[in-house]
Amino acid sequence: MLILGIETATERVSVALGGHEGVIGLFEVTKGRRHAETLVPAIDFVCSQAGIELDEISLVAVDVGPGLFTGMRVGLASAKAFAQALRIPMIGISSLDLLAFPCRHTDRVVVPVIDARRSEVFYAMYRQVPGGVQQVAEPTVGPVEDLIADLMARSQDVLLVGDGALRYRDEILDDFHCEIGGDAHPSAGPLVLLAHARALREDWVNPWEIEPIYLRGPDAKINWSTRTARA
Amino acid sequence: MLQLRASSLADTHAIAAAVASLARAGDTILLAGGMGAGKTAFAQGFGRALGVDEPITSPTFTLVHSYDLPATQRRARTLHHADLYRLDRTSEVAELALSELAEFGGIVLIEWGDVVEGAFGDHLTVLLEPELVEGDDGDDGGDDGDDGDDDDSRVIADGHRRIALAGVGQSWAARWDRLEWSLEAFQ
Repeated sequence: MLILGIETATERVSVALGGHEGVIGLFEVTKGRRHAETLVPAIDFVCSQAGIELDEISLVAVDVGPGLFTGMRVGLASAKAFAQALRIPMIGISSLDLLAFPCRHTDRVVVPVIDARRSEVFYAMYRQVPGGVQQVAEPTVGPVEDLIADLMARSQDVLLVGDGALRYRDEILDDFHCEIGGDAHPSAGPLVLLAHARALREDWVNPWEIEPIYLRGPDAKINWSTRTARA
Repeated sequence: MLQLRASSLADTHAIAAAVASLARAGDTILLAGGMGAGKTAFAQGFGRALGVDEPITSPTFTLVHSYDLPATQRRARTLHHADLYRLDRTSEVAELALSELAEFGGIVLIEWGDVVEGAFGDHLTVLLEPELVEGDDGDDGGDDGDDGDDDDSRVIADGHRRIALAGVGQSWAARWDRLEWSLEAFQ
């Protein structure tokens, strides 16, 4: 089983190939934020360097967010297009899971924090279980102060990871003693590994069943009456 | 708040160009005003001033048009021109991720952006309104566009419009004096 992993939920564009042997190819760039321009050439590069033809790929894994809407749009559309064209299934994995997974060897509570812009962050909480991590607090979006209040309420030994944790490092550390470390951005390497574990259980879906996790504030009807009538 | 008066399409373009000359990457500019008020005309003048040479058309049905700015234009990489007219829900606006577009080297113009004004951080609002001008009977002489062939009452004359600029946030406050100064001719 060969898996193509596509990761574009933050500023990083990351592409990996892997399966039973672990990750066999990985390309990523974390500067420039040119998801649309970088992604497909990156897939081509990883495949050609690893000597893999597209028709050898049997599953496409993709980060479904939360994260940058503009990045996820490119990643999900491309991943679905590859899967549809190759007639293969897909596995979608949350960006927060992907940030927490590489920290699976710590016994602290792992809190991935992704910058949601406008002073807000996406975050969730995980703890170590045999072979990986398990979510102990649901993904949520809110102001940094909410995250700090959550951390203080739990008063556990925590490890914060992700670009949101780095961006608001000072605010967080002012109020709560913890360690901030690990990778700032999710990577397609862990994506392929996590997807492989799920693929062994045939826990996959059709391309059209993959949905992004936007995790955004309340939805409301736009009040057009406040403006001159629309036609 | 800056109240301006344009008496021709060229005036609207000139006002847009003056705003464009102070705009920079990260800016969000909301274009408000009813149908035919001149929102797209403003966007055309704005884009032209930044060096966009392809035709700028209304993005009503495509939601967002993006124009790469010439490399000589160092203040921003891309001009994004959005239109919220077809949207019904705030989640649809959120999915356009217009602030992400601004954040990454972009200037974003949003037609009908005022209906969800709270969704944007610092921004400039440009309110365009067609102006009624007097017909043939002697008026106060402020207008020189000779289009008064209607002799009974006030008409909406081609190109005549009021344009009000209002900045929200620190980033526009810092530029306000220069904006006022560069638009002196239209006040």
